[in-house]
Amino acid sequence: MKIPGSFLAMLLLAACQTADEAPAAAEGEAEMVAEAAFDVSSFTGTSYGEPLTLTEVTKVSAILEAPADYVGKRVLVEGMVVAVCEQKGCWMDIASDREFEKVQVKVDDGVIVFPLSARGKQALVEGLVEQLELTYEQALEEAKHKAEEHGTEFDPSTVPEGPQTIYRIRGLGAVIAD
Amino acid sequence: MAIKWRRWNAAIHRDLGYLCAGLTIVYAVSGLAVNHRADWNPNYVQRTEVVGLEGVDLTAPSAPDFVPSVLRSLKLEGRVRGTFRPDPGSIQIFVEESTVTVDLTTGEASAEAVRPRPGLRQANFLHLNEAKKLWTWMADVYAICLLLLAVTGLFVLRGKNGITGRGAWLTAAGVAIPAVFLLIYL
Repeated sequence: MKIPGSFLAMLLLAACQTADEAPAAAEGEAEMVAEAAFDVSSFTGTSYGEPLTLTEVTKVSAILEAPADYVGKRVLVEGMVVAVCEQKGCWMDIASDREFEKVQVKVDDGVIVFPLSARGKQALVEGLVEQLELTYEQALEEAKHKAEEHGTEFDPSTVPEGPQTIYRIRGLGAVIAD
Repeated sequence: MAIKWRRWNAAIHRDLGYLCAGLTIVYAVSGLAVNHRADWNPNYVQRTEVVGLEGVDLTAPSAPDFVPSVLRSLKLEGRVRGTFRPDPGSIQIFVEESTVTVDLTTGEASAEAVRPRPGLRQANFLHLNEAKKLWTWMADVYAICLLLLAVTGLFVLRGKNGITGRGAWLTAAGVAIPAVFLLIYL
């Protein structure tokens, strides 16, 4: 049975969401959620790329809840770095404020290089939310590339058949705590 | 007049050669290292150790004693930066210079230790311009110096070994080699 990749991607993004936790956004009333509670000015560390311009942090969970509503929007997210591109430092994953969720921050190769030592550190990242439409072949290639980067064996059966929709943040600037 | 021009050319080539020697070696070594990044990580040494956890309650990864007991089993020390649950069946523990991934279903823990390759990490940092800022301009100056080194190098010698003799053939070969590769691959 073929399951549309875009459906699977949405399913993955909302994997840990229980019925009780589901906010109104999941019921079609999505709206931009930014909170000022996090004190951006007090966050210090090593800067990468452009200086941060936003002062209000958007929760990763809010973006993952209704990613399509954020596409093209400039956001500032905060969270722990849980993975970094091992070869070129061209992407990193930021943990969501909710369990079992993360969002990828992709930067242009060489423009910003995230160090592998950033894993486990807190980061503030500013960027544009983007939507990628991958064909099955592209999704296979992407998964193969990631496996090579991580030095693990590539298993094509782990890639769902059909096209995939992926949401990620095109990183413009970041501060990673020392 | 011709002699004076040659002297200046030789002097510029000589002094730029001395000036650029250090960074050229750094860039060349880094170039070799990153050229083969498909086969190895040119920046970091990564060592992964997989062990079976014993005496750790895998059903309670949120318990206060879970992380310390995992680290004790792995004989790992260092400040714990944080933990992350990528999925219900696993937990990642971030320690200074190590990332531990615990499979909560099998009780297997893999600890990946990462440390920068001494010398190479710094060389790649400069060569790939990870520093940005002022180093971008410094690297531009270095590139212009290399350009001058190449051009002045063509006219250092006169006679049969100069640019009008043997030098012409070698220079032509140096241009032809990348051109052939462009024709094949591009």
